Amino acid sequence: MVRSVVQWLSRLLILAGLASGSQNVIAWEAGRMLDAASELGPRAVAAAAQLQGVIEHASTQDAAARLTAVNDFFNRHIEFHTDQEVWGQQDFWASPLQALAKGRGDCEDYAIAKYASLLAAGTPAARLRLVYVRVRRAGSTQAHMVLAYYARPNAEPLILDNLVPGVETASKRPDLTPVFSFNGEGLWQGVGARTAGNPLERLSRWRDVLEKMRAEGFL
Amino acid sequence: MSLMRQIWLLLLGVVLLSLIGSAAVSAVSMRQVLQTQLQLKNSDNALSLALAMSQQHGDESLMELLVAAQFDSGYYQSLLWRKADGKLAFERRVPAVPSVAPAWFVALTPVAIAPGVAQVSDGWRAAGSIEVLSQSAYVHDELWRSTLRSAGLLALVGMLAGVFAMLVLRRIRRPLDNAVQQAQSLVDGNFLTIAESKVPELQRLTQAMNTMVVRMRGMFEAQAAQLEALRVQAQCDGLTGLSHRRQFLAQLESSLAREDGPDEVGMVLLRLRDLQDLNLRLGRPTVDRALVTVANAVNSYPERVLGCFAGRLNGADFALWLPAPGVAQETALALSEALRISLPAFGPHIHVSLGAVEMPRSNRASAWFGAADAALARAEASGNFAVELAAPAVVGLPAQGERVWRQQIGDAIKQRGTRLVQFPVIDRGNQVQHLECPLQMRLEPNGAFEPAQRWLPLAVRCRLTADVDAHVVALALEAIARDGQHRCVNIAPASLLDGGFTARLRDLVFQSPQAARKLGMEVAEPAAINSFDLLYEMGRQLRPLGVKLGIEHAGSGLSQIERLYQAGLDYVKLDASVVQGVAGDAARAAFVRGLVIMLRSLALKVYAEGVTDAMDVQALWDCDVDGITGPWASAQIGSSSGRVNR
Repeated sequence: MVRSVVQWLSRLLILAGLASGSQNVIAWEAGRMLDAASELGPRAVAAAAQLQGVIEHASTQDAAARLTAVNDFFNRHIEFHTDQEVWGQQDFWASPLQALAKGRGDCEDYAIAKYASLLAAGTPAARLRLVYVRVRRAGSTQAHMVLAYYARPNAEPLILDNLVPGVETASKRPDLTPVFSFNGEGLWQGVGARTAGNPLERLSRWRDVLEKMRAEGFL
Repeated sequence: MSLMRQIWLLLLGVVLLSLIGSAAVSAVSMRQVLQTQLQLKNSDNALSLALAMSQQHGDESLMELLVAAQFDSGYYQSLLWRKADGKLAFERRVPAVPSVAPAWFVALTPVAIAPGVAQVSDGWRAAGSIEVLSQSAYVHDELWRSTLRSAGLLALVGMLAGVFAMLVLRRIRRPLDNAVQQAQSLVDGNFLTIAESKVPELQRLTQAMNTMVVRMRGMFEAQAAQLEALRVQAQCDGLTGLSHRRQFLAQLESSLAREDGPDEVGMVLLRLRDLQDLNLRLGRPTVDRALVTVANAVNSYPERVLGCFAGRLNGADFALWLPAPGVAQETALALSEALRISLPAFGPHIHVSLGAVEMPRSNRASAWFGAADAALARAEASGNFAVELAAPAVVGLPAQGERVWRQQIGDAIKQRGTRLVQFPVIDRGNQVQHLECPLQMRLEPNGAFEPAQRWLPLAVRCRLTADVDAHVVALALEAIARDGQHRCVNIAPASLLDGGFTARLRDLVFQSPQAARKLGMEVAEPAAINSFDLLYEMGRQLRPLGVKLGIEHAGSGLSQIERLYQAGLDYVKLDASVVQGVAGDAARAAFVRGLVIMLRSLALKVYAEGVTDAMDVQALWDCDVDGITGPWASAQIGSSSGRVNR
């Protein structure tokens, strides 16, 4: 009887290990995305289906075409509105599917959605950065966020922005002044096995969004 | 495994489990918290540093200065600045501070913390990344300290729980032990009731057992009452309640054969004169009442005096046996006076004649009756209410005085001028169950060995029976050690009254524990009736050592021993007066059978004494007694009765 108990326990442990380990290996997963979208409504489902098509197509293209495809998709599918109007909160970082479900979002929502989709399409994380910038428009300055793509580490980045329809190099965007940049690099490295539903993951907005991106199958 | 030990082990196991479990759980959760905190510290500090470095417009020396400043003023193990192409631009590093926790503890609680990483930029240009790793030894320090603290607290709690549990268990244990002891004493034939305990389960148990004991007592009392009825039927005269002729004769024989008792005893014969004539004149009912009055007058002596017994020999004749020297004539005169006053109330011309006899006990019954009849004849010739004394044959005690006897007995014990005589007690298959061993003592140096009838009265008078009985027990233990046979010795009732007697016996028995298990001690029935508590106490001390305790010369007095069921006895030997004549008399046989059944139900063995007749033997086996002793038994065994053992 002792032996059967031990066997049962070891099977349980193996399953647990596999379950936790498998979370490390999740990459872009279409099934998860559709499941997550179905919870958000029919609009999200339709958008997600289209997005999946774009991502799959983009993963076969070269960098410039990929950037353009993703940039155009989100600039078209999301209307610019403040978080107050869309979510009723001062500041809310929505995940890509959440933004698509509403069809509306603000600057960081665009940047996050594009970041997630480019990662899903196979772009290395080291080449992407979200950048806090100051934008001068019509004489006034505003806080803004854009996505920057570095083809090489020291190169000039390409800017994906919702204010401008196309992807431009940084030098062509004199209205933007960068302040600080960040990405998801180093945040998951070497932390060991992550347990599902660790409440400390939700401590910062950026981490929260990264977690949501993972849950939706982008990462 | 005993119940108490099981409970203790369970308690210990639970306390240990909770102790270790709590300590482990608190350590693990604390480790989780500290680990997360440290990780967040790394990440947040990296972000702040990167933010500051990104404002330096790419001035490398300024950025290096920032890194150095942060490192020096913080609690870090290393700060690294990597350029965008991955090459190391600048670093500050110190070796890790060791923790105060022991190495095995650190190995048990691994803390995996990754360095915090943040991106540095200069305008649009990526300037690389910064890696921050804080000192993590304090995690183990804190874990170790908190584990020690919680383990200490839980150990304290565990000890308190243990103390509490011990108190509670002790409260339960005492009534439990009492209940077990009650059950044990039931097995031993001791019917006790104990106080009910407050513990509910045990309360029900003790209630049930007490009820059972009470019921058994009730049954015993009912049986005793039944037995008394049987006895009356077997032994007593219908009208007056005195023993009838046959029973009186049997009692007489038995009393003459007994070893204890005084040397000179007396008997009074009483006759109501002209009974036929009185019947015709006064009518039967009146005469019967007169006879009852006479019987009551005669019976007043057995009620008061030990060993005395009376009987109605035939229609008009009554007899009274007085086991004491010098009282026969006084008793007869007193009776005569009392009847002289009370009898005339029934009618005129009612007369009695009395004859008194005093003789040494060694005479046979026929000699007694002969002398008594002669005295009665003379009294009848003398007149109404006359008393005549038969001339006693004078063989008194050697008139030497108490001091001399004391000396003689003391010398006999010291110089081993004593020997044990053996009489077998046999069972159905003629196997010897045990040997009865009365003591013979040489009073005169180089004299003959005297039987107990001779030396016992002296010993009683000198109050030396305790010494003699202790000596007897010592001899018996030696004899048992030699040949391994079961033996029984007699204990005089007077010895029980000696305060240190039981202690001396216990010491003797302690010294030969093996032999003690084959030893039995028997006391005469009157002692059991009168000194019940002393007998019980002796039994309580000696029976646990394996010694058997019994009653001899038991008969009609058995139903009078209150708490016989509680007495702690092992066997009973029925007196000759009860078992003689069983073959011919159905009533006596019924009485004996009833006695055997009652005594058996109390887990006592029953033996019959003084059996002479082979027909009686068969009848006794039919009554289911356990053993027989007496002349017939000694003859069966073949060796002469009185095989000696020094």
